[in-house]
Amino acid sequence: MKLLRLGNFPLDNRRLIGALFLTPALLYIVLLVGFPFLLSIAFGFSDVTVGNTDLSFVGFRNFLAVWENDIFRQVFETTIRFTLISQVFILIFANILAVIFTQEFTGKWFARFIFILPWATPVSLAMIGWLWMLDTKYSPIDYLLLQLGFLGRGGLLSDNRNLFWLAAPDLAQISVIFVQVWRMTPLATVILMAGLSSIPTDILDQAEVDGSRFMRTLLQIKLPLILPIMVIALLFSMITMFGDMTVVYVLTRGGPVDYTRVLGLYSFQVGIEGGNLAQGAAISLFAFPLLLAMAIFMLRTASRAEVR
Amino acid sequence: MKSLVRLLLVFSLFGTLVFGIGAQDTEISLLQWSHFVPRYDEWFDAYAAEWGEANGVGVSVDHVNFTELFSTLAAEIDAGDGHSIVEVLFSPASFIDGLHDLRDINEAAAEMYGERASTCEAASYLPVSDTWYAYTHGYVPDPGDYDIALWTEAGYPDGPKTYDDLLEGGRAIFETSGIPVGIGMSPELDSRMANRAAIWSFGGSIQDENENVVLNSDATIAAVKYLAQLQNEAMTDEVFGWTAASNNQGLIAGELSYILNSNSAYRSLQKIDEAAAANIGFTPALAGPAGAYASSHVWQIYVIPKYVEGDELAAAKQFILDHTANYSDVTYHSELYNFPCLSSTVPELDGWLEADPWGSEPPNKFEVLKTVNDWSVHLGFPGVTNPAISQVFAESIIPNMVAKVALGEQSAEAAVAEAHERVEEIFNEWRARGLVGGG
Repeated sequence: MKLLRLGNFPLDNRRLIGALFLTPALLYIVLLVGFPFLLSIAFGFSDVTVGNTDLSFVGFRNFLAVWENDIFRQVFETTIRFTLISQVFILIFANILAVIFTQEFTGKWFARFIFILPWATPVSLAMIGWLWMLDTKYSPIDYLLLQLGFLGRGGLLSDNRNLFWLAAPDLAQISVIFVQVWRMTPLATVILMAGLSSIPTDILDQAEVDGSRFMRTLLQIKLPLILPIMVIALLFSMITMFGDMTVVYVLTRGGPVDYTRVLGLYSFQVGIEGGNLAQGAAISLFAFPLLLAMAIFMLRTASRAEVR
Repeated sequence: MKSLVRLLLVFSLFGTLVFGIGAQDTEISLLQWSHFVPRYDEWFDAYAAEWGEANGVGVSVDHVNFTELFSTLAAEIDAGDGHSIVEVLFSPASFIDGLHDLRDINEAAAEMYGERASTCEAASYLPVSDTWYAYTHGYVPDPGDYDIALWTEAGYPDGPKTYDDLLEGGRAIFETSGIPVGIGMSPELDSRMANRAAIWSFGGSIQDENENVVLNSDATIAAVKYLAQLQNEAMTDEVFGWTAASNNQGLIAGELSYILNSNSAYRSLQKIDEAAAANIGFTPALAGPAGAYASSHVWQIYVIPKYVEGDELAAAKQFILDHTANYSDVTYHSELYNFPCLSSTVPELDGWLEADPWGSEPPNKFEVLKTVNDWSVHLGFPGVTNPAISQVFAESIIPNMVAKVALGEQSAEAAVAEAHERVEEIFNEWRARGLVGGG
């Protein structure tokens, strides 16, 4: 048999095609992640201000000053607390919703579409919507509660006409966590749905043949199999939330007092609005070792789960 | 002899400007906020285009939300490229190293138009480096806005005059009608101003005239105690979660008896309900034990970044001076929102305050603003607005200090001491950079 020999085609070269496919991602990482990150390290060890970006080295002075700042320590603690509490709820809701959305039911497409909206909507726009919903005086939620007799004179929840969602310390923190969960759950759900869909059907068929019911299949087969993906979803969600400032910038600007002030917002207030770019950079860099350790731990966990 | 030198300076400046911007291909660009009064932007854009045609300079104007001005200016200075003139609303003292010294046009304007309001000078000049880092052309008064019917019923037909009046009258109104006073205690602009006004009027301040931190004083503690009492007895908890628009909304809805604000809330109400607007009166700064002071609401401050050079720089300076020369139009088209830093540029102002050209009822509603220069001060009062003062403002240290006491979380003494410590840290940081005096 005579084989047809093709001429040299550059894209047949595996090395070339590999490099071509990787280049956009590498450029993205280097230019939009790597360079700003290195710049912020340089800023953190220098004396830059918004008006003077000459890099004069000052060692660890900014980091020491930031650590001695009581407000920073409170902000750091708040950021960790908000992130961890949110992740618990995100994980629970995302698992439940992923299971629901991988079942067959009428209107599934529409339900999925509606559900993804919080993630697809630009965050600033969505937060303006929540700002109105949680307004200290004109909140429609308060109006509804007032009509139902929960608020107002003799009301079950308060004698006031308002609950002051963004003004009462406890409610403001709950509101911010709730909105973060609302915003981040769709992403985690979509990732988990992809994981559930990738489970080989023969395993599930075998379980069914062996008499495994829904909960047993879910807890002993599906969830262990998608554990690596769940860890990735959690990692995405945690990193996004840890560095986010938009939610609190629009909703509370960190108030009441400092109750909802998070690292990203404080870094912006000190570095850009306050002009102290060096300390602003130092504040944001405090998140790095923590996030790095978290990422390494979670990726190792995912890797081990995959090997098993 | 001194005035002759100044006169020569003015002429030489103009000579440079006139010769410097002769080339047809000179272009300048401006970045400023989307003004609260939309008709002002319409007037300004047309004015800028006309000025460009008359001077052979291409002029473009970009308007953004005021919250984006500082971040944009920071990015442009860092990039070394951007707008020729940026108008910010608060002192940009921390940008000083990236900005041109505008001593020439500040002195030229003073030579032509006389004395500048002190609230403007302190937002443009840094004594420690002897630099005019900005040119402040206007400011916005921040009087008290009160509900005439409610305060008349409470026995104050002309509104509260003192902080005691505000507490007594505000409490009586709240108890009888449920309508609270509206002094914010939230991390936002209006709260930062209102809380400072009380502290100054009680004799306290963040810094002294020589830029030494003096926040922790008996006077500040007394002011904080007063504000906490006012919140507990005449306000609701909503003030801890306010945005800058909240007091406007409350006054317009008839749900606040007194707020501190520019004329913006009133002008908004005037456009939707003239009768309700007629029920709003204005008071000057309330008197406390040490005087009557209120912060200006915002300042209109032009800066020219250092990356602007040559013909573009000359044209930008010329634009700023010509804009000042047309300040009657600025004040008029802003519906008396922008007040002139150089009062002689708007000789009609007193007449407009006696008979509002924008149809207030009664026409002399704004007459109390005739004394505005007696009580309107700047953020760094009684010192200057330096970079440390700007950072203290950005971190909302003052309203947070007040809110902690009003919420019952700390005593006034502890909250003031804690805030003092943070303010001291900030001052030391900037002092080490040579941008704050004292120490």
